[in-house]
Amino acid sequence: MNEVMLLIIVLFPFAAGVLIPLLPFKNRRWMMIYIELVVVINSILVWLLLFNRPDGAFTLLKFTGNLSVTFHLDGLACIFAGLVSALWPLATLYSFEYMKHEEHEKIFFMFYTMTFGVTLGIATSANILSMYFFYELLTLVTTPLVLHTLTREAVLASRTYLYYSLGGAAFAFIGMIFIIVYGSTTDFVYGGVLDLANYTGSVNLLLFIYVLAFMGFGVKAAICPFCSWLPKAGVAPTPVTALLHAVAVVKSGAFAIMRLTYYCFGTEFLKGTWAQYTVMSITIFTIVFGCSMAVRERHLKRRLAYSTISNLSYILFGLTIMTPLGLVGALTHMICHAVMKICSFFCAGAVMYKTGRSYVYELDGFGRKMPKTFGIFTISAFALMGVPGLCGFISKFNLAKAAVESENVLAYVGIAALLISAILTAIYMLTIVIRAFFPKQGFDYNSIRDVEDPNWVMILPLSLFVVGMVVLGLHPQPLIELFTNVANGLF
Amino acid sequence: MSKSVSLLLAILFPVLAGTALLVVRKKDDRKKILAYVGVVLGITGVLVINALTTKETEIVLFELMEHVPIVLKLDGFGKLFLAIVSIVWILAGCFSFTYMKHEKNEKRYFGFYLVTFGVLVGLGCAGNLITMYAFYEFMTLVSFPLVIHNQSKEAVMAGLKYLFYSFFGAYMALFGLFFLCRYTTTLTFTAGGTLNMELVAGHETLLLVAACLMLVGFGVKAGMFPLHAWLPTAHPVAPAPASAALSGIIVKAGVLAIVRVVFYLFGADFIRGTWVQYLFLTFALITVFMGSMLAYREKVLKKRLAYSTVSQLSYILFGIALLNPVGLTGSMLHMIAHAFIKCALFLCAGAIIFQTGITNVDDLKGIGKKMPLTIWCFTIVSLGLIGIPPTGGFISKWYLATGALDSGIAGFQYAGPIVLLISALLTAGYLLPVTIKGFFPGDDFDYDKLEKCEPGKWMTVPLVILAALSVVIGMFPNGLLSYIQAIAAGLM
Repeated sequence: MNEVMLLIIVLFPFAAGVLIPLLPFKNRRWMMIYIELVVVINSILVWLLLFNRPDGAFTLLKFTGNLSVTFHLDGLACIFAGLVSALWPLATLYSFEYMKHEEHEKIFFMFYTMTFGVTLGIATSANILSMYFFYELLTLVTTPLVLHTLTREAVLASRTYLYYSLGGAAFAFIGMIFIIVYGSTTDFVYGGVLDLANYTGSVNLLLFIYVLAFMGFGVKAAICPFCSWLPKAGVAPTPVTALLHAVAVVKSGAFAIMRLTYYCFGTEFLKGTWAQYTVMSITIFTIVFGCSMAVRERHLKRRLAYSTISNLSYILFGLTIMTPLGLVGALTHMICHAVMKICSFFCAGAVMYKTGRSYVYELDGFGRKMPKTFGIFTISAFALMGVPGLCGFISKFNLAKAAVESENVLAYVGIAALLISAILTAIYMLTIVIRAFFPKQGFDYNSIRDVEDPNWVMILPLSLFVVGMVVLGLHPQPLIELFTNVANGLF
Repeated sequence: MSKSVSLLLAILFPVLAGTALLVVRKKDDRKKILAYVGVVLGITGVLVINALTTKETEIVLFELMEHVPIVLKLDGFGKLFLAIVSIVWILAGCFSFTYMKHEKNEKRYFGFYLVTFGVLVGLGCAGNLITMYAFYEFMTLVSFPLVIHNQSKEAVMAGLKYLFYSFFGAYMALFGLFFLCRYTTTLTFTAGGTLNMELVAGHETLLLVAACLMLVGFGVKAGMFPLHAWLPTAHPVAPAPASAALSGIIVKAGVLAIVRVVFYLFGADFIRGTWVQYLFLTFALITVFMGSMLAYREKVLKKRLAYSTVSQLSYILFGIALLNPVGLTGSMLHMIAHAFIKCALFLCAGAIIFQTGITNVDDLKGIGKKMPLTIWCFTIVSLGLIGIPPTGGFISKWYLATGALDSGIAGFQYAGPIVLLISALLTAGYLLPVTIKGFFPGDDFDYDKLEKCEPGKWMTVPLVILAALSVVIGMFPNGLLSYIQAIAAGLM
């Protein structure tokens, strides 16, 4: 396919999103059809592109010298673009139902659709400057989504989100400058672009800059000192929390770190240095920290948000192993976690939407009244815990395999952290499940008479995610082969 | 019937039948449910027998990932496990037909009871570590509803304790699994172990740590010190037939897993003489003694039996830890004997609760006069657990003690038999008072108020069968013994 298509998949949802408030829709139904069409068409385009990959790159803007905004679809980009475009239509479908009772729908959907384009922009960026550009843009278009309800809480949350993200981007900017100066090119090249021969004297400086940039991009991926924005941002409507704060935004952070580590600095330069140990320690700490906080948290969505913090660091842990296998583990968990977490968030959203309850202790006996929702929630809980047969086990297995093969003692500690996190996951997820299905003796079901399952618009995406979890859990081999090729720079 | 089909059927049939019972929402009357459960149990029994008669083969179901196949393989040890599981499960199931009358949510109970049956059959058939680990986790999840069945606060707390201890153990084992993936030639269970010695060279300590974690991790299910605390909490709160099944069988899953890991993956030679073996022996002996002591002090009958399980299971683990054929023979014999005996004991306790509501040992005065058959069974199996000839417990303890004396491990050679003896005394101390008080209530007992309350035949028949089995394996052990000795000899 033509390289121009790369621009179209980014611009089309962006432009179509901007149009939403301007177009005179007859009623809500037409608007829904319009939005769903835009998203589905764009997703189809992306998937067509994935199977007919253009070899070249498309340059949109050229600044001076080698600075440009360029799109290119390499293996890593394929994975991320494929992931978001598979999830976006389903999430949009779900949000039609969810947003029924909310105000400012048009504005919401405008930014929601624009974010699709921006995320694809991050995925398909061919060099660090373009990625940085879309990265900043992502912050800007998603802030209104956090702000959506306009409550005091939402305003504070969006302010935190904005400050953290912009602050992080500033650190990332420093990293970018050093890559531009010290690299042989600004493009992403598998294996790194550093021109070491000329800069042997500044190794430690470069390592320091790597750690800085890691932390900078890590803000979006919610690593430990900078993760408090994520649970706060849970005030946003559930489709935003589920899709953006469990997949698109946070995984952009992880994706950017993959680019930084494997495609800019290069693992050969970083492996075995203090920089690797530093960032790996941070991720290990975050894995345990996120889970422990999730156990303490009583608000359903915030609990899931803390769980996201921990799981994102699984991904980062995988990539800080800095071997191809580590990247395979990281990518596997990126895909698997996306499916599991969006599924559990949507279940939480269905509960909030149908009953208005949002605290864990209010969910007694819901299992019998919302059997579909809680059945699916249970499966996602099992998947997150890593029960074999579901996708969580596969990704955990791959991460641990990479850690074992690296023969790096800190990575062994990482495996222990993964397993501690698994037991904590069991605690914070299963307590909800048990409450819902096995309420205390003598529980009065009349007190939750009004509780019922949502309609098909919500159940359909949920069921598809369950199918995804099972398929990924039982037959992940084709995907893992793809990841292995990507991680070895072959695809 | 082809082999893969016969194994798969035995696993899937009870799982599906149980799931159907859980999912179908129609309000059936009790008789229909019981008939359904009875038929399913019967058919599963036949399917298991059919699977047992197949020759040992390895069936690769599918490849989960590259080099990570899901394998079913029914070898001698697996067959032994399967046989015990199905006998106990079917008998305890029959017992529940009457017992569950006074509990709510029967459908849920029987549903999960059947699903757990299937999962246990799967555990026995699992041919490699990944498959076994998968069934092991499923087992924890599907047996959980049995524990918290009555949903009282106490039961739910106990259930959570069960769940999280079990998962903690499973994840410890998983840690070892990841390392085994790399350092073995295959994860398929092979007698003698599959360690890839070339890769292992230089990493012995790492693998010993992994082995230790796996032993302690799987030991959680078998109630081994230091992670035994869940067992005396969780087993007694379940309905009696479920406690019987948990204490008789589910704990044996931990034993199965440990045998698989020690003899089929690491290989006895790798662990023999290392600190892991000594640690394992020490933990086992501590547990034997501690469990008996706690049982002796406990007044609530079902809790006392649960502590007894803690102690008896570590007899089995001690035999395994000796890493010699005689000890292992003793372990397997004790595994069989304990399964029948402990199941029978819990069913007796259940029958007493069902008929009289008594839970405390001190209130059991004259119970033998009221329900003679039940208490006779209780007495016979108690003698078996203490290890008095000609019951099954005697043979197994004989082999365990001989194994310890043969082992020549300094210290444990003598400490083992001594602890076993002390524990046997304590066992007599905590089990026989029930019989003594039951049959000899003393002068002040009011014989006029005595009314017979022997339970119905759905309760007594399983009891009698189990008691008879526990005696039969002690009186005519030769066939079984040669079967087990062949397995044990093949593993060293």
